[in-house]
Amino acid sequence: MSETADAHDAPTSTGIDHKKLIMWLFLASDCMFFGTLISTHLLYRKLYPSGFTDAEGHQRFIQNLFNIELTSFSTFILLMSSFLMALAVSAMHKGEIKSFRRNVLGVIFFGLIFLGCQVFEFTHFYHQGLTIQNSVLGSTFYVLTGTHGTHVAIGVLWLILMYFYSFTGKLRGHMGALDVEVAGLYWHFVDIVWIIIFTAVYLVEYLGPNGIWGTGLPAAIK
Amino acid sequence: MSSSSEAAPSQEFLIEETRRYHHFITLALWLAVVTGAEIVLIFLPIPMAAVLTVLSLMSAGKFFAVILWFMHLIYDKRLLLWIFVAALALTFATFSALLALFSVDLLDPKWIS
Repeated sequence: MSETADAHDAPTSTGIDHKKLIMWLFLASDCMFFGTLISTHLLYRKLYPSGFTDAEGHQRFIQNLFNIELTSFSTFILLMSSFLMALAVSAMHKGEIKSFRRNVLGVIFFGLIFLGCQVFEFTHFYHQGLTIQNSVLGSTFYVLTGTHGTHVAIGVLWLILMYFYSFTGKLRGHMGALDVEVAGLYWHFVDIVWIIIFTAVYLVEYLGPNGIWGTGLPAAIK
Repeated sequence: MSSSSEAAPSQEFLIEETRRYHHFITLALWLAVVTGAEIVLIFLPIPMAAVLTVLSLMSAGKFFAVILWFMHLIYDKRLLLWIFVAALALTFATFSALLALFSVDLLDPKWIS
C-alpha cells in the first residue's frame, strides 16, 4: 500500500485535504447510520418472519414480491456507475475535462436508471399491498431502501450541478480534482451500501424454499 | 487560487493515473462477475449455511474492493483507512449488540404477539 502515489500532501497537519477528511468523517458516520437501519431490518425480519397482510386480508410473503432480475439489474447499474465515477475522478486528476464530463454524464444516467428501478419497485410493492404502515416489514424495508434512494438522488443532483459547473471554467486544477474526488467518495459510498443491502435484504430471501427467515407460519406464536 | 494548485500534473503522476485506470477496469469486471455469481449461487441446491457464508464473503470482498480501489483508500493516507475501519467496527458492534439483545430464541413469545 503506497501513501506517496497521490500528487502531493496537502499543507495541513494531517497531510490530508480538509474537504476529503471531512467527507470521510461524514461517510464514517453515515456508515453507522446505515448499519443501524440494516440491523433493524434484519432483526425485525427475524422477529416477524410472516410477511404482511394485504388490503384483502391475505397473508403475503416478501419472497413472492421481490423481482430478483430487476434488483440484479439495478445492482449492476450502480456498480458500473461507480466504475464510471472512478474514471471521472481519474480524468480530472489528469486535467482531461472532456473525459470527465463524458464519464460523469454516464454516472448521472446510471443513477437515474437506478432511481427509476426503485420507483418502479416501490410502486409495484405498494399495489401488491406492502405499505410503510401495514407491517413491520414494510416499515423497515421502505425506510432502509428509501433512505438509500434519497442518498442516490442527492448524489445525482450533486453530479448534475458539478457537470454544469465544469462549463464555467472554475472546476480545474488540484482544487477542481479534489471537489470531484469528494463527490466521487460520496457516490462510491452509496454503491457500497447497496452492495450490503442487495445481499442482506434481497438475496437472503431466496435461500431455501421460504427464504432464510422461513414463513413463520408453523409456530410463530405458541 | 495559488498557481501551484493549477500546475500541470507531472509525468510520473500521469503514469500512476494510467496504472490506476487499468486497475479500475479490472475491478469493474470482477465486480460484475462476482455479482453474477451471487445471483447464480442462491439458486444452487447446496446447504443454506454454505451459501450464506459464501454470499457474505463475496459481499465483503466487493465492499472492500470498492473502498480500497475506487475510493482510493489503498493509495491515500492511512488515517482515512483507520477512520473508516473504526466506523465499521462500531457498526458491527452495534449490530452484534442488537442481535444479542433481541435474540428471538430468548424472547418470551407473548411479547411479539
